[in-house]
Amino acid sequence: MTTTHCPYCSLQCGMVLEGRRTLEVQPWAEFPVNEGALCRKGWTATGLRGHRERLTTPLVRDRATGELRAAGWDEALDLVAGRLRALQAEHGKDAVGVFGGGGLTNEKAYSLGKLARVALGTSQIDYNGRWCMSSAASAGNQAFGIDRGLPFPLADIEHTDVLVLVGSNLAETMPPAARHLDRLRENGGRVVVIDPRRTPTADRADVFLQPVPGTDLPIALGLLHLIDAADAVDEEYVATRTTGWEDVRRTAAAWWPERVERVSGVSAAELRELAELVGDAEKVMVLTARGAEQHAQGTDTVLAWIAVALALGMPGKEHAGYGCLTGQGNGQGGREHGQKADQLPGYRMIDDPAAREHVAGVWGVEPSSLPGKGRSAYELLDALGTDAGPKALLVFGSNIVVSAPNATHVAARLASLDLLVVADLVLSETAALADVVLPVTQWAEETGTMTNLEGRVILRQQAAAPPDGVRSDLDVIAGLAARLGHDFATDPEEVFAELGRASAGGKADYSEITYDRIRAEHGVFWGTPRMFADSFAHADGRARFVPVEHRGPAEPVDAAYPLHLTTGRVLAQYQSGAQTRRVRELPDAGPFVELHPMLADRIGAYDGRPVVVSTRRGELKAPARVVDTIRPDTVFVPFHWVGANRLTNDALDPSSRMPEFKVCAAAVTA
Amino acid sequence: MSRIVIVGAGMAAARLADGLAGRPGHTVTVLGDEQHAPYNRILLSAVLEGTHSPDSLRLPMRDVDLRVGARAVEIHRAEQEVELADRSRVPYDVLVLATGSIPTLPPIRGIVRIDGRLDGRVHAFRSLDDCLRLDAAARHARSAVVVGGGLLGLQVARALSVRGLATEMVEGGDHVLRSQVDAKAGAMLARDLKRLGTAVYTGARATRLTDAGLVLDNGFTLDSDLVVLTAGGRPSTALARRADLEVRRGVVVDHLLRTSDPRIHAIGDCAQHGSQVTGFVPPAWEQAALLARHLNGEDVRYDGARTVARLRATDLDVAVLGDPERTDGEVVEMSNPVTGSHRKLVVRDGVIVAATLVGDLSRIGLITQHYDRGTVLGRHEAGALLMAERTVAPVVLPDDAEVCACAGVSAGRIRACASLDEARDTTRATTGCGGCLSAVRELVKEGAPV
Repeated sequence: MTTTHCPYCSLQCGMVLEGRRTLEVQPWAEFPVNEGALCRKGWTATGLRGHRERLTTPLVRDRATGELRAAGWDEALDLVAGRLRALQAEHGKDAVGVFGGGGLTNEKAYSLGKLARVALGTSQIDYNGRWCMSSAASAGNQAFGIDRGLPFPLADIEHTDVLVLVGSNLAETMPPAARHLDRLRENGGRVVVIDPRRTPTADRADVFLQPVPGTDLPIALGLLHLIDAADAVDEEYVATRTTGWEDVRRTAAAWWPERVERVSGVSAAELRELAELVGDAEKVMVLTARGAEQHAQGTDTVLAWIAVALALGMPGKEHAGYGCLTGQGNGQGGREHGQKADQLPGYRMIDDPAAREHVAGVWGVEPSSLPGKGRSAYELLDALGTDAGPKALLVFGSNIVVSAPNATHVAARLASLDLLVVADLVLSETAALADVVLPVTQWAEETGTMTNLEGRVILRQQAAAPPDGVRSDLDVIAGLAARLGHDFATDPEEVFAELGRASAGGKADYSEITYDRIRAEHGVFWGTPRMFADSFAHADGRARFVPVEHRGPAEPVDAAYPLHLTTGRVLAQYQSGAQTRRVRELPDAGPFVELHPMLADRIGAYDGRPVVVSTRRGELKAPARVVDTIRPDTVFVPFHWVGANRLTNDALDPSSRMPEFKVCAAAVTA
Repeated sequence: MSRIVIVGAGMAAARLADGLAGRPGHTVTVLGDEQHAPYNRILLSAVLEGTHSPDSLRLPMRDVDLRVGARAVEIHRAEQEVELADRSRVPYDVLVLATGSIPTLPPIRGIVRIDGRLDGRVHAFRSLDDCLRLDAAARHARSAVVVGGGLLGLQVARALSVRGLATEMVEGGDHVLRSQVDAKAGAMLARDLKRLGTAVYTGARATRLTDAGLVLDNGFTLDSDLVVLTAGGRPSTALARRADLEVRRGVVVDHLLRTSDPRIHAIGDCAQHGSQVTGFVPPAWEQAALLARHLNGEDVRYDGARTVARLRATDLDVAVLGDPERTDGEVVEMSNPVTGSHRKLVVRDGVIVAATLVGDLSRIGLITQHYDRGTVLGRHEAGALLMAERTVAPVVLPDDAEVCACAGVSAGRIRACASLDEARDTTRATTGCGGCLSAVRELVKEGAPV
């Protein structure tokens, strides 16, 4: 019997694995985050074990036939290292790019960053976490001086008075978390959901607002307007714990409810009702997720909602404040340990001389040998194979051609590479394009830590032996490093201890955390479980109000593309679906297009019959799902299958470099 | 460095200044004749009603040389200078007229005293000072009469009524809000007002203010403590006229909001684009934002405004999109005097070109989106938009319906269980998000032998 955590989302539900050859999932009631509850993805998580599509040998693309053929590990790694060296010799260090993932363990994320900075010497590393919570991270840094998804334990939800969920469908994306909503309501609290779709989460809400996609920002400004007008601002808190209120206040003065109504499609009456609710409440908690964040103005949107929380005096107050519901399993830890183009382990900035010196010391290299800032995820992909961009790309833990925006363009960039190397468990859509595919272990076959959405570091423990021929990502990274003349640790606990030293003194400091402590304490928070009680992480201890204005979607609707397209997840699938689409027990009916009966009637669509969604970048044919839960001016497509992201817009947030996954202009025909 | 000078410090001016703030290459000077920094004028009735504090109305003014109490009296086009009342001159490279409108005084004898000032009972309602003065007077008054049944009149009447004053309204036309809506909608509104405690006299003109009160031409004399004039306004064009700019009803502007002198622009209530003089904030802001982009060097073009007029008054729900009484198209209408709602869409080639919504704004967020974006609707859609949203009553769940999405359990499998515990243990229903708990309880009961 092994205690571990689910392989999927950021909740990292605790579970027990029983058996040796065939593993069985059992509840782990003592783990506090989910108390034994799991969704069907968790219950069926062992479905990939022994799957016939598991890769068990490296694959190398044969030059003569163009097909992938089986190869030995030494052959594959020698080939990769040799090609990387040759490309770097010809084009410089930055000719090699590295692309990581928010699902990788802390140890892997750390080793991957070290591989890029030390063994390859390239600045060109980033990861798919950019497409996850980077807008909230950027806003958190600006407002609070630090970025941690939730600055309090998730269970604090149950004790707030009003919980405002902006663009989160947690009842489907992290179902066990929804239990907290029910308990909050049993305790007399109220739940507010803001979403263009009336989701299963909205069905559990007391107040539901259904805005046009991309207008969460003016709604926040409208709330600020009404809170100020009603003198519901916590003046003392604002005066003693924040700076910048006056500018934000003036911006909000221009967003009276009827103006917000016209832009957002949320009626002035509904906005007033919400303002009264939050204005009168003792404790208010605002949580954003991808719906609010995955926009070209995602950072500003989060800043506006943080301003709402600050104006009400909530951040730092018990059972109140602002938080971001991270998406990927290790979205939090993945960004703390050096996969991000501008960061070193411990959430240190790569252009900070003191940070460079500290980390270089742990790595035993000269600070000056560390590269500087590289390109952000989408910009990195967009540059592949161009004159100035990388000629080779190493991919770990990401299925880019399904999950990147404007996917047709991205696939073309990948095709233009001299060398694409993908490490994965199965032949994902991206691995299928690779020159070299490296088969790696999966969750129950390896040990490592993850940092969940609360900043709680948890331990996934190995429960079974991996199939023959498969190596862990840490082995693969060390194997490449060795061929490039560097000695990397492969034992997870040893890597974790090194990560602790590298992060010591940084914003996300893991130096006091050990595997034993994690086992004993059911996970260990970095920093404190509840942050900001006395001060914020800026030098003056105060939080910042940052004034923001509504710019609107990068691609407004027009006569040719008159509908808003938004994307999201379904309960039974996870991210690009590389894992969940292969689990037999999980229903996989493929993508669908959700549209309102009024729109269906307009275009002659019928439930279950195919429709074609098109944008300026591509099109997708899929069955219509006619539901009255979506705005009639909006269509929804889940992104777990190839196609949805051929439609999405690659416009980026100026600060977080987050693409605008959540809204673009589309047309639909039956 | 280009010197941009804005005459007027109202909402259009504030919006323009905000759009220019922080951009290099120019300085911005705002000349306002009131003593206040720019504020949100359309919320004055909210201050009167008590839902907004006066301080919360102040609009952003960054990177601007703001001069309050600076009244422009002359434009010297040849010298590119504006002359102020104190005879000082302000040079400009680009001049923007945002002079707004001037409230018209209705022809009522006795409202202006011999010394030229308003009678003590009489209040205009245009500026923050007007509002604060009325606010102060309302504290000691028991009754008020509002002259003018337009949007502003309705808002002020409601505000005073909410504050507890016995309020009456006088409207010369045959129904209230007559510039925006038809008689049916007007009647619905008048009925609402009466229900809310405000007496409405339509088709009646106030002719005299005497010591006995406000005398109407229908013979009534309204003995009120306060008389509030909200009878509308006209574009303020005197400055432009004297400078020989082309003026019709308003200062004539082209697609770049330029007057007949290309160095001078005009925006907001004082401007006339094509035949359109708007008099509302949303188009004024649209113009201001567009002019800011033009002056920042962007390639833009103004093609006229889509207006949405919204009444901001407690318990009165009104939205008027465009000009429903003077726009050609097919009219789709739904009137329900029982519930007091009257809604009308004017549709041309499938596009909503104007609309009136009174008493029921349930679909306003969608209808304004369709209107603003010129969405081409399907044949049944305009009608469907006016129907009540229907939620289908729950039926008996078929056995293959999914009840627990977290564990993927159908109704049939749960019906086969004898107890909640059995359902939980054998199917794992209720063990995920917990949302299906009540449904599972019901199904277990259904399946249990009677």
